Amino acid sequence: MALFSSPFPSTLLPTLSNKPHLSLKPPTTPVLFPLIKKHHSLSLARSSDANGAGVVGVVEEKVQTKEAEKKVEESGEGLGSNGAAAAAAAVVEAPPKFKDPRWVGGTWDLTQFGKDGKTDWDAVIDAEARRRKWLEDTPEVSSTDEPVLFDTSVIPWWAWMKRYHLPEAELLNGRAAMVGFFMAYFVDSLTGVGLVDQMGNFFCKTLLFIAVVGVLVIRKNEDIETVKKLLEETTFYDKQWQATWKDDTPNDLSK
Amino acid sequence: MAAATTHLLSPSAPLRSPSTKKPIRKPIPLIITARKLRAAVIGGGPAGASAAEALALGGIETYMIERSPSGAKPCGGAIPLCMLDEFSLPESLIDRRVTRMRIISPSNLSADFGTALLPGQHIPMLRREVLDSFLRSRAESHGVHLLPGLFTSLTPPSSPHDPYLIHYIASSDPNSLLGKPQTLAADVIIGADGANSRVAKSIDAGSYSYAIAFQERIRLPDAQMQHYADLAEMYIGEDVSPDFYAWVFPKCDHVAVGTGTVSSKQQIKKYQMGIRRRAKPKIEGGEVIKVEAHPIPEHPRPRRVVGRVALVGDAAGYVTKCSGEGIYFAAKSGRMCGEAVVRASEGGERMVSEEELKAGYLRRWDREYGVMFRFLDVLQRVFYGSNWGREALVELCGDEYVQKRTFESYLYKRMVMGDWMGDLRLGWRTFESLGRNMIVGRELQRLKNVLASLE
Repeated sequence: MALFSSPFPSTLLPTLSNKPHLSLKPPTTPVLFPLIKKHHSLSLARSSDANGAGVVGVVEEKVQTKEAEKKVEESGEGLGSNGAAAAAAAVVEAPPKFKDPRWVGGTWDLTQFGKDGKTDWDAVIDAEARRRKWLEDTPEVSSTDEPVLFDTSVIPWWAWMKRYHLPEAELLNGRAAMVGFFMAYFVDSLTGVGLVDQMGNFFCKTLLFIAVVGVLVIRKNEDIETVKKLLEETTFYDKQWQATWKDDTPNDLSK
Repeated sequence: MAAATTHLLSPSAPLRSPSTKKPIRKPIPLIITARKLRAAVIGGGPAGASAAEALALGGIETYMIERSPSGAKPCGGAIPLCMLDEFSLPESLIDRRVTRMRIISPSNLSADFGTALLPGQHIPMLRREVLDSFLRSRAESHGVHLLPGLFTSLTPPSSPHDPYLIHYIASSDPNSLLGKPQTLAADVIIGADGANSRVAKSIDAGSYSYAIAFQERIRLPDAQMQHYADLAEMYIGEDVSPDFYAWVFPKCDHVAVGTGTVSSKQQIKKYQMGIRRRAKPKIEGGEVIKVEAHPIPEHPRPRRVVGRVALVGDAAGYVTKCSGEGIYFAAKSGRMCGEAVVRASEGGERMVSEEELKAGYLRRWDREYGVMFRFLDVLQRVFYGSNWGREALVELCGDEYVQKRTFESYLYKRMVMGDWMGDLRLGWRTFESLGRNMIVGRELQRLKNVLASLE
């Protein structure tokens, strides 16, 4: 089984990436914020939240953030968080930067991710995802004074496997086993060839190989469409280059 | 100005000499004309000037029609190093030598290209008006007749031995419609009139999808200009472009800040704000001296040679994906086409045919650069298509081997199949990096979904 799923089907996913913070716009605009873009007020709430957060469950944090945002919306001029009202006026100039106590010097301080004496890689992955999401919503200025140094390769390969590959592998293996068992039973009932004899047959082995590859590539019904579209996309550019040779007909001398 | 010609047609001459190696299906009538072959090049940019020069050097009577000989084109202005040698460009044309290129990801991870450069290697940056006028005047010095004017239409010939009739408005003022309509007869036409090629429309070459490149030229105070003295920056991210990159390129005394997109052309202003924001402290305090936009073809037109009219450069659609590079390929294709005409017409003695043009120019071009264009298309699709792809790209660009290979292929236009061990390792690292960043990307998406579902 491949270590990671093929990255290519996912290239079609980014067309779905709309910025969710736009959908969280408060319906009534507080008078204080006519010049500030909506997401600044939201990110204020988020920053105050991130400053206080340690290792908190994802859902809880989001709920807290949501409540903080509601407070911002409802209170209008006054903000419930620490002196953020003063910051609001300054925010007109510069959006708040990403702050997290574990983000030190442009990279994640791994010592702060300790759990039972070992680094909690899952939390590192979570933290990085959250940082990237923050930056997607409020793109930050890049500066050479505070360069980003974090490289995802610092997280060991088995942490990625455990996090991502194993649950999916379990699912796929389970499905493959169920289908395989039924097919073996079916073939046996039709032809009388038992399981051991089936495995010895070249044709059966080929079918098995196709089944394994098929399960890898097509995991859901939607994947069939995805793969077709992907193939089309991949060959599209090539087709455009070949287009000029398609009209090669013998009666060109008339021009 | 239709020239009176007498043709001596020798009936069904035998097939060509085997040295040309072209699969010709029908015998081509040898035409001995009272005058030599006449070629017209529409457009006097790098493609047109190179084509005209190649034609003139081959002894063919060449006319070049250019509508604004002193215009400045909106363009990045970067050329590969090999172009200096191949086109004998003097050092005096170069405004800046970029030796550092920084690529910055959506999460502000940056990779500095430049450590892998050998001494003497750099990316020359020039002003298009300087380069274009140099190439044009050099073509003129070889005997090309420059006709300032605007091409309007052409009349196809009524028989294979007759010339095309080119209708143009002769005037040296690019914006004035007051000019004298003229007609030029030419046997071969090379259309080098850029992305919005009129020649292409006249011959029904088909259209292409295109990207819009939008850029603002900003003059910076000296202290900030120092930062960009030999540094060019490339920014990638959804906020600056959904399918391309945004750039800050240094020019002679200002920087060009711009971005481009294929899919979201209406939102180009939003992306421009995005890049302004990302580069803000570095370009703050500058004044915008010019705003310009231009279409960039995304792929070649369906028919690049129709009859005895061939398209070259932007008119044909020769812009690479991923980097959006077009100047070198324009000049190279112009030269290749001109040389093909010279060869096929044997120095102007014979009429050329569509098949000869296709074989001598198109086939050669596709064979030489087809792989490179396709490879860059794959790169663009994988690495510019999503934020996690972009992160993976910047991570990979930090590797010295990647930088070395990138420079080799960009500066010298060679895709060297060198160190297979290194390539294998690079392939593995690409796979790994894409995988890791895709997983973080999925986490990101999951967070977004959770947030969205909480409303």
